[in-house]
Amino acid sequence: MTDRNRRLAAWCVALALAALSAACRRAPQPGDPLPGLSKAERARFDSGRVAFENVFTPGTGLGPLFNADGCAECHEEPVVGGAGDEIERHAAAFHATPPAGARACDELVALGGPVFQQRVTPALRAAVGIDSEPVPPEATAIAGRSSPDIFGFGLLDAVPDSEILARADPDDRDRDGISGRPNRFFDGRLGRFGRKAVVPTLREFNDGATVAEQGVTNPVVPDEGTFGGRPFPPGTDPTPEPELSREAIDLVDFFVRLLAPPAPQRLSREARQGRDAFASAGCDGCHVPVLHTGDSPIRALQHREVAAYTDLLLHDMGPELADICFANATPSEFRTEPLMGVRLMTRFLHDGRATTLEQAIELHNGEAARSRDRFRTLPAEERAALVAFLKTL
Amino acid sequence: MNRFVLASLCIIAGFPTAATTQQPAPPPPNPPTHSVQGAVRVVDVRGRALEVTTGVGMALRIVRLEVPADVRVTAAGAALSLNQLVPGDIVRVSYGGKAGGYLAYTIERVGRMATGVEATP
Repeated sequence: MTDRNRRLAAWCVALALAALSAACRRAPQPGDPLPGLSKAERARFDSGRVAFENVFTPGTGLGPLFNADGCAECHEEPVVGGAGDEIERHAAAFHATPPAGARACDELVALGGPVFQQRVTPALRAAVGIDSEPVPPEATAIAGRSSPDIFGFGLLDAVPDSEILARADPDDRDRDGISGRPNRFFDGRLGRFGRKAVVPTLREFNDGATVAEQGVTNPVVPDEGTFGGRPFPPGTDPTPEPELSREAIDLVDFFVRLLAPPAPQRLSREARQGRDAFASAGCDGCHVPVLHTGDSPIRALQHREVAAYTDLLLHDMGPELADICFANATPSEFRTEPLMGVRLMTRFLHDGRATTLEQAIELHNGEAARSRDRFRTLPAEERAALVAFLKTL
Repeated sequence: MNRFVLASLCIIAGFPTAATTQQPAPPPPNPPTHSVQGAVRVVDVRGRALEVTTGVGMALRIVRLEVPADVRVTAAGAALSLNQLVPGDIVRVSYGGKAGGYLAYTIERVGRMATGVEATP
């Protein structure tokens, strides 16, 4: 063999090994980080998981009001970062014709809302004799809120506003029966996180969650708020603020940001048929299969395709599902729920009322009524195929 | 005059060498200026007060502000009066702390929230 042939053979072997390595690279499993992290990023992700799994006590900052004693209490199934079986309680007051000098939606912030925590520390119970934060009589609706999995949320955070707004059609000018309205935070920025798409960024969602869910203050939200609009009695919050350090909340955020969405499974013949039915029924009008991320300081988040199955916009889901208003969202408007990782869920819709995907589809109404009706009229095997497709996501 | 009396007089009168090096008392520091952008919740024209809904994520808060009569309220550069602000207006407020609350320095209307209607900030 000549030198030239030897070199050629070596190149071929190297190429084959590279191809084999790529083929064998494991697709992200639930709880895995996004692929392509540097060693330092991977180490930080692992440290973030530890911070995420931290369990608080009243002595380390828990409460006085809280829903959970740590992030992983609610984001735990099938692995840390997954969904939870807890149902939270949110409340608001909605007046279609607002009273003079008021907005149509009152999130009841002055009375402790919109999250009304369901647990209290022993010190608060002893001081005021309550077992949960009372929902005031001013509330016109109380909403249940299930804990979603948070896989792939860093990718959703990296989707540019322009991509979301490009799909908005608030007046349904294209006459497809689907509007799609952006919600906005109280300062006017585009919202995307939460079931009503109120929170603009993942960082803010995480910063706010330690306080709203665990009663653990941090440097960005250094006060406990109130209980029912009243200050906490002296002695019920003994830990100095902030109760969580900047470093700890940064680690939690890094972990959440880099959790990979579970890779969609390979489609069987039935699932391929179901994918076609999903499109022909018009489900993809709101559950948009692919979003694209923009620039990001983290390479693993830059310019990626995300199989998100959401448009991150609000849609009217009809009166049966309606609960609370929030910012610009009316009681019947909800953000399209991302379907990435839906195969891992055991409860569906914003309050977990559906226990099967078929039930969840049946409960769609409003702008989704046409797609639901198309699903109903499909032959049984096509309906089963559509559900089989969803179970690959 | 013994040394004790001389020292006492110097202290009472102010020791001349100390007086020459003494700096004028610095002016009181300006209270730190903070900024908040949020949605007007309540406008109390008579009480010259404003409540703004803001927060971080799901941890929402209300900032209550006193609005002295000389505070500049604007929208797109034009002057407004306080009673032209209404709940749902999105405002950017610079403010500082005062005993028992916050004092608005400037208020700028930058947009409007409206449930059921697209809002343009």
